[in-house]
Amino acid sequence: MTLAAAHPGFMSPSGVEIAFALVGIATLGAALITVTTRQLVHAALWLVVALGGLAIEYLLLTAEFIAWVQVLIYVGSVVVLLLFGLMLTKAPIGRSPDADSGNGWVALTVAVAAAATLVWVVVDAFRSTWIDLGGAAQGSTKVTGAVLFRHWVLPFEALSVLLLAALVGAIVLSRRGAPARRAASAALGALSGRGASSGPGAMSERAAGSERAAVSKRKTGES
Amino acid sequence: MSPVPGHGLAKGLAVTLRTMTRRSVTHQYPDAAPQLPPRSRGVIGLFEENCTVCMLCARECPDWCIYIDSHKETVPPAAPGGRERSRNVLDRFAIDFSLCMYCGICIEVCPFDALFWSPEFEYAETDIRELTHERDKLREWMWTVPTPPALDPGAEEPKEIAAARKTAEKLAAAQETAAQEGTAQETEPREGDA
Amino acid sequence: MSGTLDVVLRLVAVLVAFLVLPLVVGQTEHKVMAHMQGRLGPMYAGGFHGWAQLVADGVKFAQKEDVVPAGADRRVFQLAPAVSLLPYLLVLIAIPVGPNGLVGQAIDAGLFFVLAVMGVGVLGSIMAGWASANKFSLLGGLRTAAQLMAYELPMLLAAGSVAMAAGTISLPGIVQAFHWWWIPWQLIGGLVFFTAGLAELQRPPFDMPVADSEIIFGAYTEYTGLRFALFLLAEYAGIVVLCALTTVLFLGGWHGPLSGSFGWLWTLVKTALLAFVVIWLRVTYPRLREDQLQKLAWTVLIPLGLAQIALTGIVKVVIS
Repeated sequence: MTLAAAHPGFMSPSGVEIAFALVGIATLGAALITVTTRQLVHAALWLVVALGGLAIEYLLLTAEFIAWVQVLIYVGSVVVLLLFGLMLTKAPIGRSPDADSGNGWVALTVAVAAAATLVWVVVDAFRSTWIDLGGAAQGSTKVTGAVLFRHWVLPFEALSVLLLAALVGAIVLSRRGAPARRAASAALGALSGRGASSGPGAMSERAAGSERAAVSKRKTGES
Repeated sequence: MSPVPGHGLAKGLAVTLRTMTRRSVTHQYPDAAPQLPPRSRGVIGLFEENCTVCMLCARECPDWCIYIDSHKETVPPAAPGGRERSRNVLDRFAIDFSLCMYCGICIEVCPFDALFWSPEFEYAETDIRELTHERDKLREWMWTVPTPPALDPGAEEPKEIAAARKTAEKLAAAQETAAQEGTAQETEPREGDA
Repeated sequence: MSGTLDVVLRLVAVLVAFLVLPLVVGQTEHKVMAHMQGRLGPMYAGGFHGWAQLVADGVKFAQKEDVVPAGADRRVFQLAPAVSLLPYLLVLIAIPVGPNGLVGQAIDAGLFFVLAVMGVGVLGSIMAGWASANKFSLLGGLRTAAQLMAYELPMLLAAGSVAMAAGTISLPGIVQAFHWWWIPWQLIGGLVFFTAGLAELQRPPFDMPVADSEIIFGAYTEYTGLRFALFLLAEYAGIVVLCALTTVLFLGGWHGPLSGSFGWLWTLVKTALLAFVVIWLRVTYPRLREDQLQKLAWTVLIPLGLAQIALTGIVKVVIS
């Protein structure tokens, strides 16, 4: 990190700083809508906007690699997974009356506390340090890679072990007992447009909404 | 199972590629006239002169698309003192091609060869009523009827030609004998003269 | 001032390529597919062998009524075509065509940029599938999502292998580092990348999300007029992007005889050949079933991708 003794101060912001602030406000707004909207799929789509805004913030901080990984992993995969799950529940178009979990105040408290902690940590760590982004890019792929695999190899590997554990756990959960397996095949059946259950009753139901049937089946399988 | 994995996939690709290099089978119809086989069933032509209004075609037609009107006329006796003959005169002969299913039964049953297949097929109309072809239009189609294919070299002679030939031969023979008799009669008096 | 002009010129060139190349691919598909099936394809529009067929199609689409179903989520429904089309425009900016900076905008993490933005494009189909309020659209959207999740991973693995080989994730850098023997070395990775890319574009034989004989037209069932045309354009833009990317990553981009002055031509020729292959595959193979599709991704492509990474790693260690 480059420390510059005489930093320009906050009173005469440059174009990048203005853009940073504006995108930050937009991201915050999108994030607020994400957690307050009653329309489930809209929440997921606003999450895309929030995550994309974050990626732009990374870009403005010249952390290009992090920005694109953010888009690739979060927008491209996590949100798609989320939408996939939402579609399996046949999320209605319009408001869902039961989208409010009832512990909004608890969530708000936790969120504000977490935000306050993070902001305090960052502010306390850097104070008025001025990091010059004009020079050699601190967030370029080369620098990121070198730092990650030289100084932070141990945490990196520990994280991958954690992910591996999660993966193994998912496999164990999905293989437990026959009902769970039936539910999985039912979900696959919904995907291919065929009723997975082969009873005559399923025939009439599959046109109406095989995905709903699959989800209800999975619920019974889990309980 | 094929010996090499992916063998079938490669074969499929080869088939499509080979087809691409070959000439396509598309007929560019409005631009190029189609090559129709000789007995194509396009439209039915009426050879009015042969029609005797026997109504066989109209009766045999499975979907009743042939309309025939006629009246009887009395023909005066050919020879004086003979009997009067009655004759059917065709007033209307129409085929509704919006009903016709091109089975060709009318042509088959016509005992007097008054109906023929023509390969013409471009008579689409914007009004369905126009598809009822009246007698003059049916007569016009006759001009498009192709000449029947030639018979096999060793085939039996067509009946009508055989009959016509026999008549012609008989006539010729009669004329010849008549001529011979004539000469004989001519010579006889000459001999008698002599 | 010349800097601004340069940027504007580059962007205009990318925009022109974005508008023209998909149409060229579409027209080629019309004709190649027709001839592979023993037909002639379009012959009238524009006079000479129907060259203007897609222009005529565009005019037709523009005249059609823009229908939004009454039960649909109006805004998401209308936004979806743009979400599915624009990412491909962005990706085209980062693809290098020739040496010496013949690229819309050189991006340091170009490979990640391209893959990330391409993944966003699929979001448009999912949005369309959900917002149409139609069960077939919903099934199409579900299939799209499942397909994206299955095929994003092998694609990333194959791309990662090339990045390892080149030691950089900048696209011009990768082409710069290319040697001819990379083609056999990265062959498996290239096949995995191309196959996974086809699946991500939902091109036959991986077009279960739009399978017309099963779910009408998947996520696009309810679309009409220009919005439908935008989805179609996105598909063909996707072909261009995928072929150009495969060229850049696995076929050495502008490398070839006389690459000094005609490098850009080499890139275009290789891209065009790959686009032909895409069409060829569409004509030849029938559609896979949904479970076969998932099985192919998880049991064939991902292991192959991992094997390619291992191979790349071994060779890289040996030669360095």
